[in-house]
Amino acid sequence: MAVLVGLPAVDFAFAAGEEPGEYLDRRVLIWNLFYKMMTVAFITGSVVSGTIIWQVWRFRESHPKAKPTRYEGTDW
Amino acid sequence: MGGHSNWPEWIYVAVVIALMTWVGAEAWEAERLVEHVPADAETIIVTGQQWFWTFEHEDGTKEIGELHVEVGKAYKFEVMSKDVNHSFNIHDYVVLMDAIPGRVNTVWFAPDAVGEHDIQCREYCGLIHYNMRGTLYVEEPSH
Repeated sequence: MAVLVGLPAVDFAFAAGEEPGEYLDRRVLIWNLFYKMMTVAFITGSVVSGTIIWQVWRFRESHPKAKPTRYEGTDW
Repeated sequence: MGGHSNWPEWIYVAVVIALMTWVGAEAWEAERLVEHVPADAETIIVTGQQWFWTFEHEDGTKEIGELHVEVGKAYKFEVMSKDVNHSFNIHDYVVLMDAIPGRVNTVWFAPDAVGEHDIQCREYCGLIHYNMRGTLYVEEPSH
């Protein structure tokens, strides 16, 4: 809620473009948003894919610490 | 499933919700700021038709294929179309708005430097779409 309500309220108080002759630069605003979203997307992507890669590596049958679960046979 | 801890899943859910909330708030805020037209913006009526742009200033002056504006002023474009869907685009100023028959869409910008910039149609609108271009001339204020 702090993010949803607080940030826009603070931004609104300092919003550019209210003074005559002083306008916000849509290029800066739009490209900033783009770079922020790309940062979020790449960090999220690397964390998620890193977790999946680690899980596949750690829980493979041939891992030295692998233990059979109760759902499978105990052939080894 | 007794004795089984699922706190990592709850942390995962919380992180996803927090990220989506933040992304949504940022995008919503940027959109709100960009859509807020300054009160002193001059209106320019932009008409798209196969395959050229017409610009009409507040004083009634019309230009075809080129648009002259003054640096440091804000301009509001009222974008419309006479035939099919077009899209009015000034790439260098990140201005992009669809021109739809029967609708008036608005977008504004404030050029901050003297120069020439390309205007183009960004929605496929027929055979000569590729050449539905114009030039934006940003000039020193006349007074």
